[in-house]
Amino acid sequence: MALHRITVTINGEVELVDVPSHMTLLQMLREKLALTGTKNGCAAGECGACTVMLNGEPVNSCLVLAAECDGAEITTVEGLKKNGQLDPVQQGIMEAGGVQCGFCTPGVLISARALLDRNPTPSEADIKAALVGNLCRCTGYFRIIEGVKRAAKIQEAAKEEMTYGIG
Amino acid sequence: MHNPRPGLPEFDYVRPASLSEASRFLAEHQGEARPFMGGTDTFVRMRDGFWKEKYIVDVKRLDGMGDITFDPSTGLTIGAAVNMNRVIDSPEVQEHYPLLAEAAKTVASFQLRSRATIVGNICNASPAGDTIGACIVMGGVLKVHGLDGEREVPLTGFFVGPGKTVLKPGDIVTAIRFPVLPQGHAGRYIKLGRNALSDLAIVGVTAFAYPDDTPSGYRFKLALASVAPVPLVPEKAEEILTGKPITDETIAEAAQAAMDACNPIDDVRGSARYRKYMVRNLTRRAVTDVLNRLQ
Amino acid sequence: MALAEQTKIPNPIGESMPRIDVFEKVTGAAVYTDDIQFGPQLLYARVKRSPHPHALIKKIDVSKARALPGVKVVVTGDDFPGHIGLYLKDKHIFARDRVRFVGEPVAAVAAISEEIAEKALDLIEVEYEPLEPVLDPVYGASPEAPLVHPDLGEYEVVNFIFPKPGTNISNHFKIRKGDVEAAWPKCAAIVERTYHIPHVQHVPIEPHVAVAKVDETGEVTLWASSQSPFAQRNLIAKTLGISQSDMRVIAPYVGGGFGCKAGVTMEAIPVAIAQKAKGRPVKLRLTREEEFYTNFVRQGLVIKLKVGCDKDGNLLAMENTMYWDGGASTEYGVNITRAGGYSSTGPFDIPNVKTDSMCVYTNHPIGGAYRGFGMSELHAGIGQVMDELAEKIGMDKVEFLKRNVVQGGDILGTGMKMHPTGIKECIDKVAEALDWGKKAEPSAPNKLRGKGIAVMWKAPAMPPNAGSSAVIELNEDGTLTVNIGGQEIGQGTFTAMAQLAAGVMGVPMDWVRIAGPIDTQYSPYEWQTVASRLTWSMGNAVVAAARDARQQVLKVVAEAWDEDPDDLDIVNGTVVSYKSEREMSLKDIGIYGINKEGDTGWIGGPIVGRGNFMPTYVTGLDPETGQGNRAVVHYTTGAQGFEIEIDKDTGRLEIIRAASAFDVGKAINPDLVRAQIEGGFVQGMSSAIFEEMKLVGGEMKNPSFVDYRIATAADIPPEHKTFIVEVPQDDGPFGARGIGEHPMVPSIAALGNAIYDAISVRLDPPFTSEKIYLAMLDAGLVE
Ligand SMILES: Cc1cc2nc3c(=O)[nH]c(=O)nc-3n(C[C@H](O)[C@H](O)[C@H](O)COP(=O)(O)OP(=O)(O)OC[C@H]3O[C@@H](n4cnc5c(N)ncnc54)[C@H](O)[C@@H]3O)c2cc1C
Ligand code: FES
Ligand code: FES
Repeated sequence: MALHRITVTINGEVELVDVPSHMTLLQMLREKLALTGTKNGCAAGECGACTVMLNGEPVNSCLVLAAECDGAEITTVEGLKKNGQLDPVQQGIMEAGGVQCGFCTPGVLISARALLDRNPTPSEADIKAALVGNLCRCTGYFRIIEGVKRAAKIQEAAKEEMTYGIG
Repeated sequence: MHNPRPGLPEFDYVRPASLSEASRFLAEHQGEARPFMGGTDTFVRMRDGFWKEKYIVDVKRLDGMGDITFDPSTGLTIGAAVNMNRVIDSPEVQEHYPLLAEAAKTVASFQLRSRATIVGNICNASPAGDTIGACIVMGGVLKVHGLDGEREVPLTGFFVGPGKTVLKPGDIVTAIRFPVLPQGHAGRYIKLGRNALSDLAIVGVTAFAYPDDTPSGYRFKLALASVAPVPLVPEKAEEILTGKPITDETIAEAAQAAMDACNPIDDVRGSARYRKYMVRNLTRRAVTDVLNRLQ
Repeated sequence: MALAEQTKIPNPIGESMPRIDVFEKVTGAAVYTDDIQFGPQLLYARVKRSPHPHALIKKIDVSKARALPGVKVVVTGDDFPGHIGLYLKDKHIFARDRVRFVGEPVAAVAAISEEIAEKALDLIEVEYEPLEPVLDPVYGASPEAPLVHPDLGEYEVVNFIFPKPGTNISNHFKIRKGDVEAAWPKCAAIVERTYHIPHVQHVPIEPHVAVAKVDETGEVTLWASSQSPFAQRNLIAKTLGISQSDMRVIAPYVGGGFGCKAGVTMEAIPVAIAQKAKGRPVKLRLTREEEFYTNFVRQGLVIKLKVGCDKDGNLLAMENTMYWDGGASTEYGVNITRAGGYSSTGPFDIPNVKTDSMCVYTNHPIGGAYRGFGMSELHAGIGQVMDELAEKIGMDKVEFLKRNVVQGGDILGTGMKMHPTGIKECIDKVAEALDWGKKAEPSAPNKLRGKGIAVMWKAPAMPPNAGSSAVIELNEDGTLTVNIGGQEIGQGTFTAMAQLAAGVMGVPMDWVRIAGPIDTQYSPYEWQTVASRLTWSMGNAVVAAARDARQQVLKVVAEAWDEDPDDLDIVNGTVVSYKSEREMSLKDIGIYGINKEGDTGWIGGPIVGRGNFMPTYVTGLDPETGQGNRAVVHYTTGAQGFEIEIDKDTGRLEIIRAASAFDVGKAINPDLVRAQIEGGFVQGMSSAIFEEMKLVGGEMKNPSFVDYRIATAADIPPEHKTFIVEVPQDDGPFGARGIGEHPMVPSIAALGNAIYDAISVRLDPPFTSEKIYLAMLDAGLVE
């Protein structure tokens, strides 16, 4: 069983980790680095609870080998907050009441962040399509979808503020 | 009793420095080594215990595997390691091969598609592979690096059985190439899953056509997913649509021929009986949609 | 609490406050069981499981597994002879002489890594002698069926469950009210139907996980994703022959429960292993696949119904025979069949009732509590036969429902008198939201359109004396720490409890903290987080504790100020006197008391309020007739409706819009109530359209999310209106009743009725595209 020494940037921090070949990115995050915000709901690419951003793209971290991530940049739910400020997706989903047990939430937030990165003004259909890989058994999705809509507005407002120096 | 392990079994992750090295390694460790792209089939099957390879060979970062290139005279080449979201987003694909994007969009979820590849979908050779039909009807050809160097392998005859292809030990698909498509072409992929999105296909119907000097005025190509041991081309249905003037009756006849051509099984997603009817009804719908798009 | 007292409701009770756990949950900081770090001593457990639905165990050889380097403990059924179970002790931690379902634990291994544990499993050799399995509850109840539990007569059982030794029937609940035989000839219309409701899974996104450790003194600590830390402490301690106080259960946030993390399922396994692990913690985490079939599932049900009404549409009689597919053990399931029995009429006023609700052992996975506790399955049948009967007698379906639903004062099937309920208002709200009575045109020529509505009721199903308790402490900064034993599983109970405490005490919401994680060593007792009972039962305990703390504060201040406590109040965290207009912050009272005038001594001391609640009025029921004074504490009622379209080419069902209305007595937090209604609605809809455990020869053929589909974000309807009706509960906190389970109860029937309206065919759930298409094909609606 080969060990690989990899360098990864996780939430802006450079980490040096020794990982066995068959260790998944999800296992590395949770078990090697105790970054337990990212959840394991199936270990088979089906539930989305393990979704993290890998080089700017959301992936199911249970289906990515840690060894593949040498040199990669990773963002997990723990890295969404910037300068003490919640990310708009955190703010939006929080305000809309899109959280119940919270187990799907980290993955949902990463998927939502990725959606707004590629499409800052998504339609309801866009939001639904972006979230089909994030199963939630509690909320019935209504408030999650509403939360992403809100997040888009919050983000838009923040951008305007930056551009026009309002407030 | 389906009782997979919690995580992946032990194996060695290998990253050869060149394609030749990779081919040699794979051939030397025949039956013990496997190349992968997105790993979305590979790691699921390894965890399930169906595959027990000792070596998992990462060839994604080798030359050209990550590129999409389009040349108006020779066509489109998609590197094997290009993930589906990149294919869907590619302006060239959207403009010249929209059917491929339409099919890829139906695969699983966004996050899965940022790993899953078209070549992986093809090499996995599942009858349910959603992008395979589009690749077949648009004349996709695989570029393969083997022990004896590079060669091209057409998709016709590529699939031998569920999970089985004509690839030989040491073969690595480096890209899929599509010819320039005839003027005025149009295509449609209809996937019927249990959920609105993200399910595997109970039935998938790909239809593709372009104007041609035929009795119907078109050349039609069809492919069916999840209704036979391999992706199925219902040739008789294609002939009907090409060989007769298009009317509602011709479409119905072709749809019936597609239904008769398939040989589905009962599984947890659907019964053979339902699948057969769906092939008929969705072929009808897909062909009608293509005709609307052709106009 | 008198009703009069409830009329003035202090802030923030009744307000839509944000959840108090949400910040932790959106930042990834919230701790779930699997997130706790145990260090390098941690051992990983894996379970060897039976591949047979029914077999005798001839031999187990674990010697090779024991010899594998890295393996620390191997256990089998021989090590643990005790029985375990909530209502009927019919289960072992590991199978002993026989296995009874595919996936049943026969042995377990703990090793220094999951990989080694997995390898060790392959080295355990088990020899079986297969037996004929029982795979159908109707057959299982017949005298021909082989016995799944030949020792049924010897099991310990609570006094309201009635097993029939020598059969596979582990509980038979009966109602004999009036005379159904005499009533049938008087009926102008009669409907008879049998429905088969399949097994389904709860599918929490967090699979079961538990970690156990036994220290030098023999004291056991269990960390578990649990709805029932206290019940687990009690049951596991009893089985392993240790004292309850030597066992401690710590239960962090739960990533979804829905009933499957109630009672004891896999949690006893790591405890059993840890007893032999020399102080090392042992973790068992189920895979998603194991989650599907080795733990509690929702029982299958075969329900045979006969209902009749007179020419004006008044219900006259119902005969209801239910065969519950209880599975290999019915330790919890026996009470589901009891609940199905005493609520077997649905929310309908029926003078003549004959019910037989039978819990049948089969060689299927073990049935347990699932959101609704039998009610979704029962109502799937009731809701559709009522629809059918209305049509048969030629009456508008909504009018029929309104004519026959229970009202305050009605005598129910069990002889209990119904309390006031807002079910008619619920029906009206839903009917109005769906434009009931107006038939809309299909949106396309290949579509068929339909509407359906169904009503429901559900009572908390629990032992008659299930209790709650709460302790409220004041802190130096004036804030409150509320100690409770009920669990936050996503339903929002911590928030609701904080609101009750804040409102009663008179402090701002953000002065209240709920002490977590729940820890049986510190948290006050709570029976279980099930049955939609917390808002009501634990809520009463919290209100009592807050009142107690408040009285203590007022007494101290009154003494210090030489005033009458009745003239004092606590407003926004400050004690005020309406007489003298003096003020004092809680900060200055909570811990240190008050310095007497002129520094002549002190009054008071740390304030600790305490409260408890236990219903005292539930009576037993006659085993032969099901009659008694009060079967249950109360019923929450409601209605749900759908407007749908069906695609004639594929059979695909699309929900155009839907509406739900429930009578919650009093919404402590309306937003959270709506969130429960929405989530339950989608879970109900998902179970109705997609979900079924495909059991073939006892084996589940679809134990993964790829094969067992649940609703995704793309499957929910564009519109779902929610309505809150409030007819107060006489003994609920400020009138509140539970709402956790109810929203999914009417879904199967309401959708089934809508489908019928569209295609005139009655179907068993799930209403898959395939089933609908083939039904249309067979009925000649499509060709
Ligand atoms: C949750 C989930 C949902 C899914 N849903 C869908 C769906 O809706 N539709 C669908 O079609 N598929 C679906 N899949 C299957 C899978 O995602 C697709 O087949 C995907 O396209 C595979 O691509 P990959 O790059 O991940 O393949 P990999 O796993 O990397 O490879 C797949 C197979 O191809 C071989 N292979 C890969 N690359 C090469 C190469 N360059 N040369 C030679 N052989 C190679 C591998 O050895 C392996 O046998 C799903 C999978 C999961 C886990
Ligand atoms: S844990 Fe990765 S998708 Fe479920
Ligand atoms: S909030 Fe519980 S799974 Fe989404």
